[in-house]
Amino acid sequence: MKCAPFEYVRPTSVDEVLAALVAADGEGKILAGGQSLVPVMALRMARPAVIVDINRVEGLAAVERDGDTVHVGALVRHRTLAEQSAHPLLAEAARHIGHAAIRTRGTAGGSIAHADPAAELPVVAVATGATVTAAGARGDRWVAADDLFAGPLMTTLDADEMITGLDVPVPTRWGFAGFARRHGDFALVTVVVAEVRGQVRIAVGGVGAVPLRARAAEAAIGEPVERVAQLVGDELNPTGDLHGSAEFRRGVAVEMARRALASAGI
Amino acid sequence: MNGSPLGTSVPRKEDRRLVTGRGRFVGDLQLPRMRHVAFVRSPVAHARIVSLDAGPAREAGYRVFTQADLGGIVLRAQSALPSYVETGQPALAEGKVRFAGEPVAAVVAADRYRAEDGAELVDVDYATLPPVTVAWDAGAAAVHDEAPDNVLLERTFDAGDVDGVLAGAHLTVERELVTNRHAGNPMECRAGVALFDPADRRLTFWSGTQVPHLVRNMIAELLGLSEGNVRVVAPDVGGGFGVKAVLYPEDVALCAIALQLPGTPVKWVEDRVEHLAAATHARDHRYLLTAGFAADGTLLALRADVTCNVGAYSVYPWTAGIEPLMAGGLLTGPYKLEHYRATVRGVATNTAPSGPYRGVARPASVFAMETLLDDAAARLGMTGVDIRRRNVIRPEDIPYRMPSRLVDDSGHYDECLTKALDAVGYDELRAEQQRRRGTGESPIGIGFACYNELTGLGRAASAGPRMPFRTGHDACTVRVNPDGRVTVFSGVTSQGQGLETTVAQIVADALGVRYDDVDVRIGDTDASLWGFGAFSSRQAVIGGGAAHRSALAARSKVLRLAAGLLEVDPADLQIEDGVVAVVGSPDTTIGLPEVARVAYLESNRLPDGIEPGLEATEFYDPVRGAFAAGAQVAAVEVDRTTGAVRILRYACVEDAGRAMHPQIVDGQIAGSIAQGIGGALYEHLVYDADGNLSTGTLLDYLMPTSAEIPELTIGHVARPAANPLGVRGVGEGGTLGPNAVLAGAVSDALGVRIDELPLSPSVVWTAARRAAEDAGKTPVEPGGRHSD
Ligand SMILES: Cc1cc2nc3c(=O)[nH]c(=O)nc-3n(C[C@H](O)[C@H](O)[C@H](O)COP(=O)(O)OP(=O)(O)OC[C@H]3O[C@@H](n4cnc5c(N)ncnc54)[C@H](O)[C@@H]3O)c2cc1C
Repeated sequence: MKCAPFEYVRPTSVDEVLAALVAADGEGKILAGGQSLVPVMALRMARPAVIVDINRVEGLAAVERDGDTVHVGALVRHRTLAEQSAHPLLAEAARHIGHAAIRTRGTAGGSIAHADPAAELPVVAVATGATVTAAGARGDRWVAADDLFAGPLMTTLDADEMITGLDVPVPTRWGFAGFARRHGDFALVTVVVAEVRGQVRIAVGGVGAVPLRARAAEAAIGEPVERVAQLVGDELNPTGDLHGSAEFRRGVAVEMARRALASAGI
Repeated sequence: MNGSPLGTSVPRKEDRRLVTGRGRFVGDLQLPRMRHVAFVRSPVAHARIVSLDAGPAREAGYRVFTQADLGGIVLRAQSALPSYVETGQPALAEGKVRFAGEPVAAVVAADRYRAEDGAELVDVDYATLPPVTVAWDAGAAAVHDEAPDNVLLERTFDAGDVDGVLAGAHLTVERELVTNRHAGNPMECRAGVALFDPADRRLTFWSGTQVPHLVRNMIAELLGLSEGNVRVVAPDVGGGFGVKAVLYPEDVALCAIALQLPGTPVKWVEDRVEHLAAATHARDHRYLLTAGFAADGTLLALRADVTCNVGAYSVYPWTAGIEPLMAGGLLTGPYKLEHYRATVRGVATNTAPSGPYRGVARPASVFAMETLLDDAAARLGMTGVDIRRRNVIRPEDIPYRMPSRLVDDSGHYDECLTKALDAVGYDELRAEQQRRRGTGESPIGIGFACYNELTGLGRAASAGPRMPFRTGHDACTVRVNPDGRVTVFSGVTSQGQGLETTVAQIVADALGVRYDDVDVRIGDTDASLWGFGAFSSRQAVIGGGAAHRSALAARSKVLRLAAGLLEVDPADLQIEDGVVAVVGSPDTTIGLPEVARVAYLESNRLPDGIEPGLEATEFYDPVRGAFAAGAQVAAVEVDRTTGAVRILRYACVEDAGRAMHPQIVDGQIAGSIAQGIGGALYEHLVYDADGNLSTGTLLDYLMPTSAEIPELTIGHVARPAANPLGVRGVGEGGTLGPNAVLAGAVSDALGVRIDELPLSPSVVWTAARRAAEDAGKTPVEPGGRHSD
């Protein structure tokens, strides 16, 4: 469980990061909190030739409210997110991430870029309709969360792009419910309900390749909670795994949807 | 301190270094010129090794060792049991691999990173063979040629007329139960540093082992070294739980490599991935059971067929018999029974070898036995408490000969159970359970387990698989130094359970000196004479007994010497806090420092007939063992919508005999219950059909954390055992209860049968759903059948 050899650079600006990634020619990897990248490197499941450490890049660590949106810099630690009050839903989600040590290092940009289908922040991003800012050699672009996640641990970003931050709308009503086997584990199922600009969106994590929108359930908002929750379950196509059968996952998803809807007061 | 420190929770000797981060673990050891080893491990479960090409790695500058390079060393665990099929485990695989993770070659480099780079360069070509991972799969390919049916050992325990009594029983209950493979997972993985000094042909092996003297004996024999030239040092060890009571191929390979690199220390520190894949596993069992009961709940007869998955190798030196024989010998636990027939077998598969793990087999066998009782109680309209009370061995039955012929010397099971019921507030819980029925609230359930923990086995206890050695004795040396302070060289070992403290308390008490004046050295085979080490809850009884006896012997010499100096009769002397005084005339005293000074430095003052020096070495063997009675009771709340199980209350009451250090005793019980809860709710080593470990990291292999362990109420009934200190072992008993208690509680909450472990949310959710569906159709009908 020791990493394969790699080069290490530690730029101090976004431009230098991008230059380093271009120079690495597809073999470079950004290192943020290291809480996902380092374990897979230790297992030699990831073997980047160049590690581009972004921890010294200035200006990426702020949480700022701008109207009905909160801007979260890529290097904002989960812990900071959990403690801020500008975006209560993000705070609640961040509190569910791992353990204290992981929250102290792990970053919002890293969590989004890592695109673990069971991670909390991607589900919140999809539920709220967040926008991710990606810097690249050809300039910045803005990607909607709905268009960002391409598969398990895969995004639509290029290898030489870097997330600099995300803009997360503040929902007027919201509910968050997750079920994990132990305190601090990745949840088996996470359901986030968010009412943004009058529209209720429901996203489910942990039961597919990417965080899923429950569109049929969204369309049924206004019907009894039990019915809407059931629709969330019906829409999913979970697979069985170590932690249980597909039916079990679906059952837990229905329950989490019910809890999230109820706590949102929807 | 005044008076004896024995029986009080004195500050632990080892805590100064352990809690300040100054522990000395094998991983901390830094030696000049040290090199690091990484093992090339099989990525497949079962295969012929077509070729192994170390050329590229050697060309890149790595030292590579294969089984041929090490001289073909093979570990052959031995047992004299008639059905035992002896098989061999090579230090490094040769010709064939038998489980994913098996070491195939070793690479030596300047550091572990480079060693792993080198390991990637070793090219092994495997021709896969069909793997078997489930011990009760019929018609599987043979893992070892010597055992075509993969049965490495089978034995039948037979007492009374089982078939006849079952035929006439009022009620028979039949169950098939499967328990989950899991393992000790100590915080510190395995680790070793081996150094061969060619100048005097001495091999030193620093190893995180629980059994340094045994390791010395085995390493010397396997490597053809003079035993006196092998030194094994177990420094601080971060947990063992049985996993480190095994001599592993990696240990032998490391020492064999050291012999080929004279003067160069070689270090291997196992990582967690290796540990999960290749350190011993345990508890992968199936129980086929038929039990007969009388109408009043009396257990009449039990027929059992127990299959234990022993993995790819018969673990060294304990053999493939360790789990099956324990399961058969103690299945009936603390319950009186005459008619018993159990066939137990150990079956080889293409999975990591099974070995001793805290509680050996009994967390599974207690679950099996308690499940039968709960099932019968439900069918007879009795409570779980009543059926246990009807059947437990009672103080007046002692000594009670169990149907497996083990002799139970405890018997306070009912008292333990009653106290545990009081501790959880049983009546109140039953009322709350009743109240919740029919409301929408989550149901609660209550579960029980009674068990007898076999501890401190002496030479006459025959629970072991008849290996070529008997583990009934330990030695201890008590040395009074020239300054009057005491150094103890004990054969016990410690993996965190505070043996330095306990031994110091025993010696201070028996010798009559202050606890602070006693230092204890353990874990070094050059320092202590002999000890088998930590397993079978033996050290407090046996190592403690040896410390007690040697301290008494040293005391006797102190008194004889002091008597000569004071010109009084030794029988008139007492010693307390290091001061020898004449009984009844407190002014006539002599301090231990002065006595010791005479013994070593002032031979001119030595009384006639007394030799210089102040030291005693004694062995102790209790001959028999000491059973420790125990009972656990818990209440859980089950969330039907997610299958989550929340433990509301948990109580354990044990007969630890005399508690020498109450805090350590409670710590042992709490820790073992926590480990048991891990096994009951979370931990599961899962192989896929190809024999790959699906739970290869701690992301998937779920250990309980402090957040998962509830408040535990620990109580005692302290009945001194028949040994010099009156102690019973407490190292393992706690692990015996949680499977049974939590499965029983979930079953009670939902009115369902639990046939498999762990009680994962998925298993519980599925059971709850089945119960709800059944409730819609027929009344809930637990397993078994009425014989009428
Ligand atoms: C024991 C444990 C438990 C955990 N439990 C949870 C949990 O319950 N829920 C949860 O959500 N997460 C959990 N995590 C993961 C944790 O949240 C990680 O911090 C997070 O997923 C990744 O963030 P990071 O900053 O550590 O990224 P890193 O590990 O540094 O990087 C992860 C990936 O993202 C890329 N990357 C990082 N930053 C950027 C960027 N700005 N732009 C582009 N690419 C980037 C990296 O190149 C890499 O591919 C857990 C981790 C551990 C070790």
